[in-house]
Amino acid sequence: MLLFRDEEHVDCWCRSRDLTRGALLTPDQAWRLARAWYAGKLSPAWRRHTLEETEALLAGAGLTGAFWNLRAGGGTIPT
Amino acid sequence: MTDTSLVQQVRLHVFGEAAATGRVPQRGQIAAALRAPETAVQEALRELASGKAIILAPHDGDIWAANPFCAVPSPFRVAARGTRYAAICIWDALGIPAALGADATIHAACGDCGAPMTLEVVGDRLASAEGVVHFAVPALRWWDNIGFT
Repeated sequence: MLLFRDEEHVDCWCRSRDLTRGALLTPDQAWRLARAWYAGKLSPAWRRHTLEETEALLAGAGLTGAFWNLRAGGGTIPT
Repeated sequence: MTDTSLVQQVRLHVFGEAAATGRVPQRGQIAAALRAPETAVQEALRELASGKAIILAPHDGDIWAANPFCAVPSPFRVAARGTRYAAICIWDALGIPAALGADATIHAACGDCGAPMTLEVVGDRLASAEGVVHFAVPALRWWDNIGFT
């Protein structure tokens, strides 16, 4: 995921690649997601998030809806 | 069969070195540091990649990213604790201060025009930021190509 100056630059980038716009986050949403995702990554006790934990992390950053759905297709766990 | 103890040692070494120095060690360096055979280290790295703890480069099997730390230069650069880090995307760039529990300055560029952009994390909060973050790919398909999300 990339950072853009504003939505116009997102749309320009999408047009240049023949892509439809995906999902936009505020930097603060991205920070909340990153903080929740990577806290503990250096710990010996770290383990991959479960599907349910991943859903909770996304929801905690306000990321809900079809774009963020992890269950269609059998519940693949992203990243 | 993979040595689970070695997998854990490799993981802790890779992330510990990346956090301390900003450089992600590769299999030869890891093998030397852990006094382990390079083939066993490579197997451990494959195990870590299959668990999505790290990402391996497609051709040579080197570590591309021990997320949030990127092993190669990238447009997302992070300064924290007097050390410079690289990240593969803005999410991981923000993930570096999150993982370190440290203040950080993130230097990035607009994905469209390349204009320099800066974000600052201070005291566990995003103290200054600009722009918008764009995910091009729905969450369920991120691992179709983790280099393009």
